Amino acid sequence: MKIKLSSIMVENQASALAFYTDVLGFKKSKDIPVGEFRWLTVVSPDGYPDVELVLEPNANPAARAFQEAMFKQGIPLAAFEVEDIEAEAKRLKRNGVKFTADPKQQGPMKLAIFSDTCGNLVQMYQPPQNGA
Amino acid sequence: MIRPELLSRLCNARDLLRDWQDEPFSISYVARTSGLTRFHFVRLFKAIFGETPHQYRSRAQVERAKQLLILTDLSITEVCMSVGFSSLGSFSALFSRRVGMPPSEFRRSYRPSLAPERELPASLIPGCLSLMAGISEKSNFREDKSET
Repeated sequence: MKIKLSSIMVENQASALAFYTDVLGFKKSKDIPVGEFRWLTVVSPDGYPDVELVLEPNANPAARAFQEAMFKQGIPLAAFEVEDIEAEAKRLKRNGVKFTADPKQQGPMKLAIFSDTCGNLVQMYQPPQNGA
Repeated sequence: MIRPELLSRLCNARDLLRDWQDEPFSISYVARTSGLTRFHFVRLFKAIFGETPHQYRSRAQVERAKQLLILTDLSITEVCMSVGFSSLGSFSALFSRRVGMPPSEFRRSYRPSLAPERELPASLIPGCLSLMAGISEKSNFREDKSET
């Protein structure tokens, strides 16, 4: 058994693809029409190319209720690792991304949270550097 | 940075945009409920939720109408009123533009004719990752990575 897919629910798959590629910098991997929706995945250009994030439609009312409640509580539904969280935060802010938590040291990690414009809060984290 | 109480007020505004049923609809009023000017509200809403308050409201109205058309026996006019439109013409036009067919045709296409308990067809409510089951064998699931 392997972990190769994870998913995040999005309001609109087309605008989600634009945000996750153009703004966050992931690469589109799969884009296969399935009925009303798409099997749509992105991969990280500098991470593990065989681990894919599915941009999954949140058309299910139960899924949307969950997503909206988590958003309102300020809870992120995904977390992505970065090397330099300050630089990433600056870059994303220049692109209009809104943060609900600016980068901050919390225990061994530096964390920040932003809105993905698709109905989710997403966390970025910078793990401790070697020797730091 | 968006502080938690502002985030929460924006979420309430989003609920209000979706649930507001009476005409006339006022963005300025919704903006005031979140303590922002209309200008600031529209910009912040778009930056956080990815679409303007108007776009969000239109989409929510169409989504709600789709459910009512499938799940209830309300007439098209009643559906139109229930989602906050006073004009059947503008409702039908918006619905057709977004869904690709008018409300009457949508109802005919998706409503199960003989089901005693109406429910949304599975094709309209994808479950977690169940979309994968719908990928056709012709699609090259493994090897279309070169496509951009």
